[in-house]
Amino acid sequence: MLALLLGGFRLQAQEADSGQVSRIVVRSLMAGGGWANVLDTYLSPLEYTGGGARIVFESMQNTRWRQGRWKVQHQVQLQYAYTKNPSGSADMHAGLLTYSYALLYKFPMAGRLQVLAGPMLDVNGGVVYNQRNSNNPAQAKAYGGLGASGMLAYRFHIGRYPLLLRYQAQLPLLGVMFSPEYGASYYEMFSLGHGSGSVRFTSLHNRPSLRQLLTLDMPIGTGILRVGYLCDLQQAKVNGLKTHHYSHDFLLGFVRHLYLLKGKRHFNLDAKDHPF
Amino acid sequence: MRRFLFFGWLAVVAGALSVASCIRADISGNTPRDNFEALWQIIDQQYCFLTYKRQAYGLDWDEVHTRYADRITGNMTSQALFEVLSDLANELRDGHVNLSSSMGTSQYREWFDSYPRNFSDTIRSHYLKKDYVLSSAMMYQVLENNIGYIYVGSFASGLGDGNLTQALNRLAVCDGLIVDVRSNGGGDLTTAEKLAARFTNEKVLVGYICHKTGPGHDDFSEPAPMYVEPAVGMRWQKPVVVLTNRRSYSATNYFVNAMKQFDRVTVVGDTTGGGSGLPFTSELPNGWSIRFSACPMFDAQMNQLEFGIEPDVKVDMTAADMAQGKDTMIERACEILKN
Repeated sequence: MLALLLGGFRLQAQEADSGQVSRIVVRSLMAGGGWANVLDTYLSPLEYTGGGARIVFESMQNTRWRQGRWKVQHQVQLQYAYTKNPSGSADMHAGLLTYSYALLYKFPMAGRLQVLAGPMLDVNGGVVYNQRNSNNPAQAKAYGGLGASGMLAYRFHIGRYPLLLRYQAQLPLLGVMFSPEYGASYYEMFSLGHGSGSVRFTSLHNRPSLRQLLTLDMPIGTGILRVGYLCDLQQAKVNGLKTHHYSHDFLLGFVRHLYLLKGKRHFNLDAKDHPF
Repeated sequence: MRRFLFFGWLAVVAGALSVASCIRADISGNTPRDNFEALWQIIDQQYCFLTYKRQAYGLDWDEVHTRYADRITGNMTSQALFEVLSDLANELRDGHVNLSSSMGTSQYREWFDSYPRNFSDTIRSHYLKKDYVLSSAMMYQVLENNIGYIYVGSFASGLGDGNLTQALNRLAVCDGLIVDVRSNGGGDLTTAEKLAARFTNEKVLVGYICHKTGPGHDDFSEPAPMYVEPAVGMRWQKPVVVLTNRRSYSATNYFVNAMKQFDRVTVVGDTTGGGSGLPFTSELPNGWSIRFSACPMFDAQMNQLEFGIEPDVKVDMTAADMAQGKDTMIERACEILKN
């Protein structure tokens, strides 16, 4: 009981202390491109490779839960890849829109390193289109579910110049995925309406995917420049069909810190009430 | 620090797990043997008639592998490889199986070359005359004996609802209608269905379709029914004859099967060419594409349609009629419709 009381007092103290920190919103927009490798055995048994482009929007802010230690992160990603088969005789377009919502708990740690982790919900929708195919020209992508997200943020200086290095990993754990059956045609599924069995349960055993993002934030003037590298390994084996979309993208963008109180426009990378 | 180590370790494990369980392509390499094995495997795992054709004419796909593997050498030219793989594809006796490369497209032609052509567009033009109407994929005319005649040469391009309504309106005064789909090599099933929907007043079960659920030769889904529902708008209410020949193939085969289920419809001519497998496309490591039958379709009694549909009235074009510029099938169709 004494411990609970002490804990309660400590919580109250922290809550009072964090009353001001819950109103910061960190938003960033990055764009870039890189390399992509696409496989979809519904369309072709071969891996297609080529270039890709990606836009990443992120918003992260403190919540009022647990003295502001829980953070909420929204991410919207739009990616496109134009790929060719190994011989260069056919091409494939792949587009995917991803939305992820993560609740991250910021562990109390002293020092420059911050660790955050928590559950994540992701929803993905897109299409892969092979220009050469007849009755199997495209594959719709629709999947999502619950996962785990972890983040490491490290603040350091070069001289007096502040920098923030951040690594984030997103690991889907449980979810559902649309997939045609092994040899089902879209004619049968949509023209005739025989789509049973096309939505499957997924977990690590059939959708072992991992999305990793490494960013470096650098203040420039009154703004903050963000450079990043995103390694996205999305893959699945459902209904006997193998799919993967591997991409390595280099990103460049800006970060905006919004403070929901009037009169506070600028924010410091070293601020104690930063979400990460 | 402990937590840092814990999460660092977790990230490494997650990464290792992901890399260790990479889902990659099964097919790799690009030697003549790699391409041969890829083609054989695609057919082995995805082609939908291996069991049926084993029963129909003794096709043994494993034996085919053994026989053709001996014809593959490491230093053979692309042309030689294309010829061998084309022969391999033709073992399936399927017009929907085509290997395509810059050297050409393989095609199994026995399904029509071994039979009378039973169609002459020169003779057909005697019936269409010069004032026929060309509308969408149709050519139509009122014949001299007041029989309507529509020729549909392909289902690859769409048939507009307005075009169909206008055609049937214009031919409504006729005593009967001939729908000629000879030498129509197919196209879209939905287009064929749209035309068939003009000839029924009720929803009719016309067949079944299924698909493979795995790589085994007998891994199929439960057959799902296929219906033709009556078109909204103008529908034909008088007798109809559908003319067929061996080149009535694929979606046209489906159209003929559907029409055969309807009242007032008589199929006249030769057995259709078949082609009841909805084709998919895949490819070999060297970039050649392979089209193959993936989803089998059946008639309303679950009979296979792959090798064609027999007509209600068997008629071949005769040399005597052709010499006189007469189309034996159209003449017979007119007799049936007039009686």
